[in-house]
Amino acid sequence: MGNKQTIFTPEQLDAYQDCTFFTRKEILRLFYRYRDLAPQLVPLDYTHKPDVTLPYELIASMPELKDNPFRQRIAEVFSEEGDGNLTLDDFLDMFSVLSEMAPRDLKAYYAFKIYDFNNDDYICKSDLEKTVNKLTRNELTPEEVRLACEKVIYEADADNDGKLSLEDFQQMIIGAPDFL
Amino acid sequence: ICISHGFYAEEKLLGSLASMSTSERIKAIQKMPETMKKKREIRNKVLKEITKKSRHRRNQLSCCTQCLHRTAVSFRRFGNSLSEYFHLLQLWHKTLKIIGAEFGTSVLSYFIFLKWLLTFNIFSFLINFSFITIPQFVAAESNNLSFMGLELFTGAGYFQQTVLYYGFYTNATISKIKNGPSYNMQLAYIFTVGMYFVICFLILLFSMTKSFYRNFVNPQTYSGKASTLLCTWDFNIMNEKAVKLKQKNLSRQIKEDLAEVNKEVLNFSITERVVRIVTHLLSWAASLGTAVAACAGVYFLSINNLKLFVEEHKNDLESQAAMLVLPVVASLLNAFIPFFYSWLGHLEKFQTPGHLIYVTITRNTILKISIVGILCYYWLNIVAASESQCWETLVGQDIYRLVLVDFIFCLLGSFFGEFLRRIIGTTVCVRLGLPEFDIARNVLDLIYAQTLTWIGILFSPLLPGIQMISFSIVFYVKKVSLMMNCQPPRKVWRTAQMTTSFMFLLFFPSFLGVLSVIGVTVWRLKPSEECGPFRGLSSMYAAVSEWVKILENYTPSKWVVWIYHNLITSELFFFILSTIVLIVTYLYWQIIEGRKTMTKLLHKQIVN
Repeated sequence: MGNKQTIFTPEQLDAYQDCTFFTRKEILRLFYRYRDLAPQLVPLDYTHKPDVTLPYELIASMPELKDNPFRQRIAEVFSEEGDGNLTLDDFLDMFSVLSEMAPRDLKAYYAFKIYDFNNDDYICKSDLEKTVNKLTRNELTPEEVRLACEKVIYEADADNDGKLSLEDFQQMIIGAPDFL
Repeated sequence: ICISHGFYAEEKLLGSLASMSTSERIKAIQKMPETMKKKREIRNKVLKEITKKSRHRRNQLSCCTQCLHRTAVSFRRFGNSLSEYFHLLQLWHKTLKIIGAEFGTSVLSYFIFLKWLLTFNIFSFLINFSFITIPQFVAAESNNLSFMGLELFTGAGYFQQTVLYYGFYTNATISKIKNGPSYNMQLAYIFTVGMYFVICFLILLFSMTKSFYRNFVNPQTYSGKASTLLCTWDFNIMNEKAVKLKQKNLSRQIKEDLAEVNKEVLNFSITERVVRIVTHLLSWAASLGTAVAACAGVYFLSINNLKLFVEEHKNDLESQAAMLVLPVVASLLNAFIPFFYSWLGHLEKFQTPGHLIYVTITRNTILKISIVGILCYYWLNIVAASESQCWETLVGQDIYRLVLVDFIFCLLGSFFGEFLRRIIGTTVCVRLGLPEFDIARNVLDLIYAQTLTWIGILFSPLLPGIQMISFSIVFYVKKVSLMMNCQPPRKVWRTAQMTTSFMFLLFFPSFLGVLSVIGVTVWRLKPSEECGPFRGLSSMYAAVSEWVKILENYTPSKWVVWIYHNLITSELFFFILSTIVLIVTYLYWQIIEGRKTMTKLLHKQIVN
């Protein structure tokens, strides 16, 4: 019911509504933003599920991500192949998790994956060092970075294996109500 | 084995999803940390399962249940499209997003708090207007006074005989048609105000406990350094300058933390400790002394004010302007003494900056509470017992003037504190730089204004409407001033905990204080003889007790009388209720303690 749009079938829209935190209007608005990044690549008719992927450079030029120091990791985490190129499904997924309606545990799960640079399901020391450098824009000396990472692991590592697992990270999030 | 294990887990997932209700299932699917493709697959499989089950059942069910099912589905679709339009009603959604993007969540929390207070005022204005003012229009008397421009500031003069104040409302039972349905103004007045406060109480209680639960229950077992690193990146920020600033702050904070590590074990010598304690005591003495002096000043000014009222009948410019002295002095005290307090705070050396913020907020709260308290004492004990014609209207006028002058000072404060300070900081004294938005002071100002409005509802039913307009103007002015003049905050501000503290401050001294003032007014004070809906009664509450006496003669309303005598006026009922609440609180507290011990034990087991 409602407006007649021809981009998606009603079943597709229902499925999107059930799987993301967005309403119909917001899904359509996001589709148009996706299309605006590359109008020649993205067709206006998604009823036959075309296989369209937008390259990372176009995604990283969006105003929401352009200044975010973690934009590359975010795109990699949400892309299918891990290379930062997003299909429409991945695009909607990304914005759904980043929106204000997503619960904290879901955001914590994805934050963990974003900070895990080498994708081994653990945040080890080198991952932490890269995170600290991105967070502080290379303003700390390497010595300070190393000390800071050691402190983090010392405080948060519950099973003492020298790296943070998802459970350690989630435990830390519970104790930090300011996490967004 | 691996594949069958995964298959078995998926079967269990599908089974549990299929057995949930529709909305629960949707929520569960939305929360799953999987890719969109996987979620869509799971969703389709679950839907197939459900249609299989229901097809099997459909042959056994009657068509009644099928109809019900179909109506439920269409109702759900209708609810979905309704909720889309409900999003449009959210005030200022886009503005709040922009503020959050440029300045971060800490500054955003002030604006969200302002919006929340605005909804309280809108609600109050709507119910007061519909249930009290509109019937009054039907039975209005004519207004003989002339309108001069100064009334907008003093609230006296022409406004005295309008629906703005308590004194204008009739005590009659209004009925347009003879022997038709009648509207008892006395009951309407007291029940509307009472209902509003009960609903406010419940809303505040629920918000506060929800916020408290989320932000304070799990105590910080980490000293904060780890969480600083990984959890304070504000993904809301989208502005390049703000991002760079945030990065600089984070690196500076990490450097400070690392430097402090070496200084952690510091033994203060005895003299140093004594000096610190003495400094703290002296500052507290100074701040409490200033608060007491401010109260005394306000008290003497207000006694003077009363003399002006009792001999009022000269409506010339001088006496009208003299009425404004009290509110202006109160607002000046509220504006300048906090600067003195923050200067005191900088003199003392606190262990953490968090301590400094909490102590400053406490001192400011004590100052504001004492000023409001002394004004209430003056209103309830002195004005109410004076020989003026209509003391409630006098109190209403006082509050109107206080609210208005406070609003003007808020705008002026924004002008001087932010606009002029920016000009000074960029041209004359470049070292100062751009000003930061002082969140604590602004929030306390909001709480003060809201407290005054709540006290004023009984005496001036349309005051929330005025406050509504003033809050909207303040929102826009603060937003423009923020964008033009301020820079994003430099220090870390623990938003979630501060928001909880502000809600607590709104509830505990502010709202409960208002409830006690209203309680004393309704139960103890004698309403004036010649004006208002309760004229001639011994107390405002007497209207309710007289109504119950009348109801006793009608058999169908015996249950109302029973509730009144055995629940509302009986002390035994409240005693039992309080005991039950205390027992339940104690049980919950013990459960939390037990769980904390359990967590510690389990933690130890994992490490070993």
